[in-house]
Amino acid sequence: MELHGQRVHCLRCGQETDWRLAALPNGEYYCPRCINLGRVATLNKFYHVPEPNQFTVHQPVLTWSGQLSPLQEDAATTVDQGLAAHRHQLLWAVTGAGKTEMMFHGIAHALERGERLAVASPRVDVCLELYPRLVAAFQNTIMVLLHGRQELPYRYAQLTVCTTHQLLRFYHAFDNLIIDEVDSFPFAANDALLFASQQAVKTDGGCLYLTATPGPTLMRRVRRGELAVSYLPLRYHGHLLPRIRLQLAPGWRRGVQCGHLPTSLVARLRRSLTAGYRFLLFLPHVADLGTIEPLLRLALPDHNFTTVHAADPQRLTKVQAMRDGQYDFLVTTTIMERGVTFPEIDVFVLGADDPVFSSSALVQIAGRAGRSVSRPTGTVYFWIASQCRRVRSAVRQVDFMNRKGRALQK
Amino acid sequence: MNCLLCNARLPIRLTLADLVMLRPLPRLTLCNRCRANFARIDPAYACPGCGRPQKGTRLCAECVAWQQHCGWHLSHQALYTYNNAMKEYMHRYKFAGDYRLRLVFQAELQARVRELAADVVVPIPVTETTMAIRGFNQVLGLLGETSVAPVLRHRARDKLAQSHKTRKERLRTPQPFELVDPTMVRGKRVLLVDDIYTTGRTLYHAADLIKGAQCRELVSLSLAR
Ligand SMILES: [Zn+2]
Ligand SMILES: [Zn+2]
Ligand SMILES: [Zn+2]
Repeated sequence: MELHGQRVHCLRCGQETDWRLAALPNGEYYCPRCINLGRVATLNKFYHVPEPNQFTVHQPVLTWSGQLSPLQEDAATTVDQGLAAHRHQLLWAVTGAGKTEMMFHGIAHALERGERLAVASPRVDVCLELYPRLVAAFQNTIMVLLHGRQELPYRYAQLTVCTTHQLLRFYHAFDNLIIDEVDSFPFAANDALLFASQQAVKTDGGCLYLTATPGPTLMRRVRRGELAVSYLPLRYHGHLLPRIRLQLAPGWRRGVQCGHLPTSLVARLRRSLTAGYRFLLFLPHVADLGTIEPLLRLALPDHNFTTVHAADPQRLTKVQAMRDGQYDFLVTTTIMERGVTFPEIDVFVLGADDPVFSSSALVQIAGRAGRSVSRPTGTVYFWIASQCRRVRSAVRQVDFMNRKGRALQK
Repeated sequence: MNCLLCNARLPIRLTLADLVMLRPLPRLTLCNRCRANFARIDPAYACPGCGRPQKGTRLCAECVAWQQHCGWHLSHQALYTYNNAMKEYMHRYKFAGDYRLRLVFQAELQARVRELAADVVVPIPVTETTMAIRGFNQVLGLLGETSVAPVLRHRARDKLAQSHKTRKERLRTPQPFELVDPTMVRGKRVLLVDDIYTTGRTLYHAADLIKGAQCRELVSLSLAR
């Protein structure tokens, strides 16, 4: 900790705090920003163990034997070359492109070179999902999983899987750092984590950012030439993203309060159901679930559905029941946006212009549709009360990737 | 302003009355979601001895036991139950040492201190070891600018911090405090303040000394029970 005038600068997380917030009554200062990694106060000093990087490589490094599509193969080569050159690069891959598998060859080569690597994500759930897949793909490598909710002792490993927050623990430690879902909350908005990710990499190390929806910070770095960008605009099955189509429903909230749903919404839901497709209907708030559920039961009396939200204690069973085909559709809030996939579904959002939906969340939500080879397309409709920047940007991102994708399809 | 516990942005709630009266705004410290995790105790439905929430205002069994053991019992109030949210809060505030979190309940505790209208407010002290590690006394942090009298101090022989002991060990502990200056409390209405009322042992030790110094009246208060 260092005091610069009115601000206290933390040497661990790089953030500054007003000294009045950071002062302890004993005359010391502490850093409230990174306290969940243990308190750093003025008296603490940091010691960095020099990185010996003496890993014995056990063959075979890659114990994954899956196949990549030719397009994925190209992207995997780019990733591989980037990691070999310790480049700072962004891989912009559409939702459902199969990003994780594309990293495998690059990671394997880096491990064979004896490099120390980290795969990080801002979201704990992404780390929890990634870790077993990486363990299976690199069975002979020493790995560690670090996140805030677990109390496992730290051990020195060649491959670290962690939340971006945990990167604050590392200083010039990694030859290559891979950050998955880099755009997702809270990384996108948190300068401390960006700082940490830079600190965690060796001065000559590389960094690979993976995302489906790059935010403004990353795009600025691309424009400045600090980041090389490569695109994977087609999904693993070779199809484009479903276009987001917009429907204006200016007074939908008032209508719902008086007991009627927008007619265009009901018509659209009926059309999907008669065509034999199931769907997800997203609503902005948990409270909306309660208001809209009875209206849907009236409008679609012959169909089986339920509502689910992040804090729902039966969330997992409901999602599983949807997977098992017990429901015709699910009505849900923004929380299911990532990771949850159902084949052959349509995706609808009522109130997509609500500020709870960031443009990257909207792209992720739209990306739930058309995930499977059996139905690589899907219908995506957003009902909005008025035009807004977030919705426009989501539509633009999808169209942009589709233009790139069409060029590849020729 | 952001929520001190989850960092969510707090809405600025301005009522018309606030605008008309130009009164200072009450400072929000928690978002509604975090706030909802804490359970306030209504003194009208709490034991008058220890402040535990219950149906009526009869003395609870524990306090009856204290009455038999000491010949008197405390009159204690607590603001919140010691539920999971409060445990988590205490962990972050005391053990992780996030001193900023004193602000979460400071205003509420200060308001209750004012209501209790004591002549002297006596905080339970922390040991020197705790002070060296933590860098602050959590009770003083919660009390903020309230003027307090350092009537108590830990006796020189330093012992294990209270929170590492089992309930039984805590109940057996010998008097950990001594009086700095008995004249500060003589003939006064004294308010003893601690962060948590767990077994009552700490507060009974402190109260014993203060009663021995012939205070006029003694009440006590904690953030959690
Ligand atoms: Zn810090
Ligand atoms: Zn909160
Ligand atoms: Zn009682």
